[in-house]
Amino acid sequence: MLWMFFQDALFSAIAAIGFAAVSRPARRAYIFCALLAAIGHSARFLLIDASGPLAMNIIPASFIAAVIVGSLAVFLSPLAKMPAETFLFPALLPMIPGVYACKSFGGLVMCILRTGEEGAFGHYFYLFAYNGLVCTFIILGMVIGATVPIFLFKKISFQATR
Amino acid sequence: MCAIPSSRDVCVFLSRYGTALIGCGATCIRLEKNVSRIASAFGKSVEISVMPRHLYLTVSDSSDGTMFTSIATVPESALSFNVNTELSRLSWEISDGKIDYARIENRFESIIGSDRQNKWLLLMLVSIANASFCRLFGGDYIAMLIVGVATFIGFYLKTMLQSRHIDSRIIVAVCAFVSSVLGSTADLFDLGSTPALAIGTSVLYLVPGIPFLNSFSDLIYRHYICAVSRFFDALVLMCCISTGLCAGMLLMDVGMF
Repeated sequence: MLWMFFQDALFSAIAAIGFAAVSRPARRAYIFCALLAAIGHSARFLLIDASGPLAMNIIPASFIAAVIVGSLAVFLSPLAKMPAETFLFPALLPMIPGVYACKSFGGLVMCILRTGEEGAFGHYFYLFAYNGLVCTFIILGMVIGATVPIFLFKKISFQATR
Repeated sequence: MCAIPSSRDVCVFLSRYGTALIGCGATCIRLEKNVSRIASAFGKSVEISVMPRHLYLTVSDSSDGTMFTSIATVPESALSFNVNTELSRLSWEISDGKIDYARIENRFESIIGSDRQNKWLLLMLVSIANASFCRLFGGDYIAMLIVGVATFIGFYLKTMLQSRHIDSRIIVAVCAFVSSVLGSTADLFDLGSTPALAIGTSVLYLVPGIPFLNSFSDLIYRHYICAVSRFFDALVLMCCISTGLCAGMLLMDVGMF
């Protein structure tokens, strides 16, 4: 369990660095991205782990993880002298539910291809709706969770580059 | 501050500053804050209307009664948080009087022009990142390797096509197709224990994560038009990814569902 936890933190940090590179952050932002991504993703891992004491749904878990990461980012941003979202958003990328999004669209395509058969259509429509809804609400929860600290501590967040 | 610029000069500068900031992927709330900060440093007041592809600005000065409006188009530039950070810093330097009016223009130009990135390093980082992503979903080492290779080739193709100025939606669909075909080798040759994950993860480096996050951030600050526009941009790209993925899976005759 502990090994799984550290593995999760390590790989999400690597993933965050790579995905952050696409959106060209400042060079010193990488370390913060990696740190926040590791904290966020492993926090979510702990929250959704079914054998753990806190086992919960992925949507509230993403929200809570994002609140933790968002608050850390706001208080780190004056230290880093960068706007919070420039290292907070890349750190959230490993938590974006890409698999759900792809499965949802895959379901939609199969739905259209199988309109004649009621049973198959129902199955693929379920895949489309289920994955699409979970995906949307995970992103919504994540962004609300991450933006609420920026919103609450406006003074700190918008003075970071001063 | 040695010379006080006219409302017209401030308006022209702010429209260039604002469009550059939106173009590099800043949220609407940051644009509003930074632009108002610069305007008030020059003793002007500013009204902004942010449209998805245009920026309307009115700069006025109550002391001499002048008022100028500009409408500028947002350039299609790559996301860059580095430019975002530097432009935000510039706004504070102007506000705190740390930079002369005469030098602002030069500083702005150097920020916009300085954004260089090593192509090969980026390619390596993205490939390793997507391979680790596969691990996060529970893929084994063989799946990670396949995803890494699929991402490397797909992302290389993406940079190559981008340099030829092909429409970004076509690029994304083509790259998703190529990566999913490569990703499906795990299933075809029975490699590893998690072949289905390799296909699904191989296209995830194309997911427009930052536009999604920016869109919801705009939504929270009630910039609904920008939020919807950014959301649809991201959604169209997701459709392209899925089209490429489904085409690749149909071609290789493998199933994820």
